[in-house]
Amino acid sequence: MLEGIFTGLGTALMPFNIMMVVVGCFAGTFIGMLPGLGPISAVALMIPITYGLDPASGIILMAGVYYGAVFGGSTSSILINAPGCASTVVTSFDGYPLAQQGQAGKALALAAYCSFTGGTVGAIILLFAAPALAKVSLSFQSGDYFALMVLGLTAVAAFSGKGQVIKAMIMTVFGLMISTVGMDTMTGAPRFTFGSVDLLDGVSFLLLAMATFALTEVVMSLMKRQHLEEDQPIDMAALGSMKLSKEEVKEVAPTVARSSVFGFIIGVLPGAGATIASFLAYGMERNFASAKEKLKFGRGALRGLAAPETANNAASTGSFVPLLTLGIPGSGTTAIMLGALIAAGVQPGPRLFVDNPDVFWSVIISMYFGNLVLLILNLPLIPYISRLLAIPRQILIPLILFFSITGVYLVSFNTFDIQMMVFITVIALFLKMLEFPMAPMLLGYILGGIMEQNLSRSLVMSDGSLDFIWERPLTLTIITIAVILLFMPLISKFFESRAKKGIESSVNTGEGG
Amino acid sequence: MIITKDHIGGLVFLCLSAAYGYYTGDISMLPGDEYEPFNAQTLPSILSYMGGILSIALLLTASRDASDRLSFKGYDFPLVIKLLVLVVLFGIALEWVGFLVSTVFFLICGYWLLGERKWKTLLIASVPFALFIWFSLSQLLDIYLAPGRLITMLFGG
Repeated sequence: MLEGIFTGLGTALMPFNIMMVVVGCFAGTFIGMLPGLGPISAVALMIPITYGLDPASGIILMAGVYYGAVFGGSTSSILINAPGCASTVVTSFDGYPLAQQGQAGKALALAAYCSFTGGTVGAIILLFAAPALAKVSLSFQSGDYFALMVLGLTAVAAFSGKGQVIKAMIMTVFGLMISTVGMDTMTGAPRFTFGSVDLLDGVSFLLLAMATFALTEVVMSLMKRQHLEEDQPIDMAALGSMKLSKEEVKEVAPTVARSSVFGFIIGVLPGAGATIASFLAYGMERNFASAKEKLKFGRGALRGLAAPETANNAASTGSFVPLLTLGIPGSGTTAIMLGALIAAGVQPGPRLFVDNPDVFWSVIISMYFGNLVLLILNLPLIPYISRLLAIPRQILIPLILFFSITGVYLVSFNTFDIQMMVFITVIALFLKMLEFPMAPMLLGYILGGIMEQNLSRSLVMSDGSLDFIWERPLTLTIITIAVILLFMPLISKFFESRAKKGIESSVNTGEGG
Repeated sequence: MIITKDHIGGLVFLCLSAAYGYYTGDISMLPGDEYEPFNAQTLPSILSYMGGILSIALLLTASRDASDRLSFKGYDFPLVIKLLVLVVLFGIALEWVGFLVSTVFFLICGYWLLGERKWKTLLIASVPFALFIWFSLSQLLDIYLAPGRLITMLFGG
């Protein structure tokens, strides 16, 4: 492990990679701050840039953008009550009331400290957890890989919002369908190309990610008229002091400790990302609070701000565990990173630890730097960075659109991709209006190719029989977990209704109390 | 009967799965591939069945709440259509007049569509920006940006 840490240090400390961390954190903070654009869009916007970099620098840049965007999202949540991304929605519950009470500076500083602590604790756990898991997963065979891909796909479906399970599953299948467009990798047969030469290479990952996240998010925010005249100028003088008193530090310290570990664990679970972690951490903290303290939540409680801010950064770090060790993205953002790494010729998974130790270790090491960069550079710069929120949206939106389009064009130099982007954006807009989640589709698309290859290999090896699923205990275990995850919403519904019935019957028979 | 978003989504995906399944039969295979345990049609066939089953499941479990109806109220469609048409035009312009001119055209039109009317702002926020990006890409990063067919036809190149 020590050798690996040194390898990681060597790569992460290269001046170019340090620059990537700094640039990533800044770009992420800025993009994350813009309402409507979250970490997924921010990371998607970086893909064209990473195509010209080596894989280690590419993922370091994207990781920097990721936690920068999570941090930036909280700035807009606190200042203008407009969360930059879903994972900072909870931040606004107590952050915005604090800003309204003239304590915006304190809220921003606390958010920065908590993000730093959550991210650093997460990175320390990652340092020990990832190599151990990677060693175990080195014994994986094609059947196990297939089972893993199934687990990755079902986990996202199971963790999607209430009543969205079938929709998420449909979107996963839709993503898998898109992954079959183009030349079949095994036989070379064209599939669903309808005679078009442009479709022989399939739908590009970059194009799909940009169209469904960057472009669709911007267009959707315009369509909902959340723009222009609604923008409120920010009064920088009203930020107030950024200092925290000793009592306040004492008050939030246990919260930060709890939320760091809790957030990391939630982040590790495939499908549960920073958003779920922040909501759960807030709920947990509220439950820990006394009846008197509970009343403060939602009205500017420091603990209410510290819990989600710590948890979402720890979860962002935690979501790298399944990505780096198993090749399963833990969230939509890491799904994009997985796609970008595959495009760069690096296959995240058990072999990454052995085949590309520089990528594996440098990502982990660069996370410390990233968190430090966010704290050292962003904290004093908050008042200035916040001014970016004052750029008129009628100027900003065409520029974001321009970067999205040219990002795709400069990779292929084919204007067909631009027309295709518009086509996919229209479909994505329609699906969004019907409340279909986009992340499972992207995940299905990314995992589709690898899943098909491993299923094919397993079936050929077992002579067309499905025995490979229950022959190896490992495959069977993973498939069982996948099935449980798939039916989890149904199981939880069953227990909920049973608990409800139990309460009703005890009330009727007078047992309660 | 109330038609909700779930019903529309279910129907759309049912049609998509049916069409996908139909075209699965068109995938060409090598002789004898049909007897292999796995061929180019295997996964698409499984996916079309899965898509069909899930779409029917969505239709059967669809919400019947009136609040889940698809509503276009409050959506600014004309603006979005104009912007998407502008993106298509940008793609066409890239091929004919090259990167620099099409970028200036795209940005000015984009700002204009979103309500910016001051000519000074329109020009300042587009021309220097486009020049900077063009210079960075073509001169600093040495990326070849085709001048455009029209420019080549008029001035050669």
